[in-house]
Amino acid sequence: MAAKKRIVASLLLPVVLMSVVSLAGCGTGASDDPGNDGASTAEPYRIGAVLSLSGTLAGLGEPEKNTIEMEVERINAAGGVNGRPIEVLIEDDATDAETAVAVTTRLIENDGVIAIIGATGTGGTMAIRQEVVRAGIPNVSVAGGSVITADFHPLVFQTPWSNMIVVPFTLNYLEERGITRVAVIADSGGFGKDGVDVIRAAAEGSAVEIVAEESFNPGDTDMTGQLTKIRASGAEAVLLWNAGREAATVAKNMDALGLEIPLIGSHGNARTEFIEGAGSAAEDFVFAAGKVLVPEAYGVDTEEYRVATDFIERYTDRFGVAPDTFAGHAFDALHIIVEAMKRLPEGFTPADLRDEIENTTGFVGIGGVFNYSADDHNGLGQDDLVMYRVSGGTWVLEE
Amino acid sequence: MGTTELLQFALAGLKNGSIYALVALGFTLVYAATGVINFAQGEFYMLGGMLSVWAYADLGLPLPLAALVGVAATALVGIVFELTAIRQRKDGDPLALIIITVGGSMLLSSLARHLFGPNERALPLFSGGGNVSVAGAVLEVQTIWIVGITAVSVAGLWYLYNRTALGRAMRACAVNRDAARIVGIDTRLMVTVSFVLAATLGALAGLAVTPLTQTAFDVGPSVGIKGFAAAILGGLGNPIAAVVGGLVLGMLESLSIAFISSTYKDAIALIVLLGVLFVRPQGLLGRSGREKV
Repeated sequence: MAAKKRIVASLLLPVVLMSVVSLAGCGTGASDDPGNDGASTAEPYRIGAVLSLSGTLAGLGEPEKNTIEMEVERINAAGGVNGRPIEVLIEDDATDAETAVAVTTRLIENDGVIAIIGATGTGGTMAIRQEVVRAGIPNVSVAGGSVITADFHPLVFQTPWSNMIVVPFTLNYLEERGITRVAVIADSGGFGKDGVDVIRAAAEGSAVEIVAEESFNPGDTDMTGQLTKIRASGAEAVLLWNAGREAATVAKNMDALGLEIPLIGSHGNARTEFIEGAGSAAEDFVFAAGKVLVPEAYGVDTEEYRVATDFIERYTDRFGVAPDTFAGHAFDALHIIVEAMKRLPEGFTPADLRDEIENTTGFVGIGGVFNYSADDHNGLGQDDLVMYRVSGGTWVLEE
Repeated sequence: MGTTELLQFALAGLKNGSIYALVALGFTLVYAATGVINFAQGEFYMLGGMLSVWAYADLGLPLPLAALVGVAATALVGIVFELTAIRQRKDGDPLALIIITVGGSMLLSSLARHLFGPNERALPLFSGGGNVSVAGAVLEVQTIWIVGITAVSVAGLWYLYNRTALGRAMRACAVNRDAARIVGIDTRLMVTVSFVLAATLGALAGLAVTPLTQTAFDVGPSVGIKGFAAAILGGLGNPIAAVVGGLVLGMLESLSIAFISSTYKDAIALIVLLGVLFVRPQGLLGRSGREKV
């Protein structure tokens, strides 16, 4: 019996310990103090940024951090906000909601920030809302979940195209091509689940019928089971909603099964890692995203084109790779806040800043042209999207 | 549902089950030698894929050599981990050792994130892709590699355990450590050997899967949990049981997708696991703990 007890103890203890460790694992974020080299000696305006520099979303948090550091230097070199420099304090939330709340509290209580950029993920953004609301400071999220602005709060804004915009745009594309029987496959995490909810609602009012609905968990290594069911459903296309590396596995499994119907993804797949991972299976993969991937989509003589190409050039020069869409979301969040600050007189309060961010109209960013209003804190529209097709190992404009 | 589709689900179950089996073997080997669950086992899986990608893409080695380097380097990590962390705990207190493996797991994934970056990385298919048709169902060539690597590993392990002095010493250690020490077996060495084998098996699984799924610094824990569940399901401490547990778990998941729902496949697999443990606490093939008393 003693041996049995020991076995039980050695099985239970690790489970308990794991949960204790994960609960205690907060508050390890490194504080950063990116370029504060403006000529001015005045006290800087402090903005907090809660980004995922480690954990599952680290691949998104890194370009966001790079962008913010680069842009803060540029803003300060150009005189900051009406002569006063800005300082962005970047904290790592480790892709963990509890940690996100802890570092947000620290940014607000210890550092006295007047606005928060972030979090990188939808889960983190929803988690820090309680702190943002308690402190009454504006929050511009760089996460794409539609729940962020659909579950409306006056203090919370977002810069990525939300599923509320991308889903109808994608369904439109399907309808135009006469594809009406669609199978949906999505991850069970925040982005995929959010997407499926929006797809279900949007399909109600369109000619598109969902004939199969399958899901997989983040980290799953094989989806042939789900795709076999989809094949049996007689779907004319597969709609994939996922922002992780599993997307490449779906494309490869489809290829292996010989399932030769179109695979349509989302802005969550606008990453070169997807094309590298899926290889030849990525060919003819279609997805909607903003125009930054191929700036010509803006129209060559437009202000959007100029802003985007300038940003792409500077980012590529400094970091050796082209910026992805996530870098663009951070660019937009930072500049929307800074532009609002520039329009305000010295001595403004966080409440004034919130009101002024809401007044943002015609701001030309990377994600598109932002028009916030009292009931729209996403600010983008379907005009800011375009369809891409993977061809020859890179993305090109569809049509 | 047609037989072709059923066969397709069975092949998917076999593929995932083989991966779980390799990871489960790692859990079970370390458990047999030390009496603790090694929570860094999933990280060996991650390192196997990641270090192979590093050797292939960053060092520019040909794929077979890169795979060898990846697995060997992971085995080396296993040795270093055992010598520097596990062995330092002289009294072998299971609780302390488990905490050490949890810490080791965090350390290894953080190191991988800093050395190899946060993004997923790819490895080409071992034999350039292509599929084989089995009675109408599709079998990826890479799946044959995965199942083959598992089969060869199990055969090699069987040979080691049953036909070599080292294997007999390991088994003696698992049955009764004190008695093994009295007859002159270096039980410390056996622990090190078990970590090397566990790291190698985990690395082989990670290496075989990476061409299909890519790898990243954070793939360890989710596969680790599956392998852990498989080891428990089969019966901890018994290599054959680990393989059976892995295959059963893979099949269960696949059949859940086929007949119930892909949303609940993990939950269904775990409910069956709990059900089995309720009836047979020692696992499907595990021996009753009474024997040891």
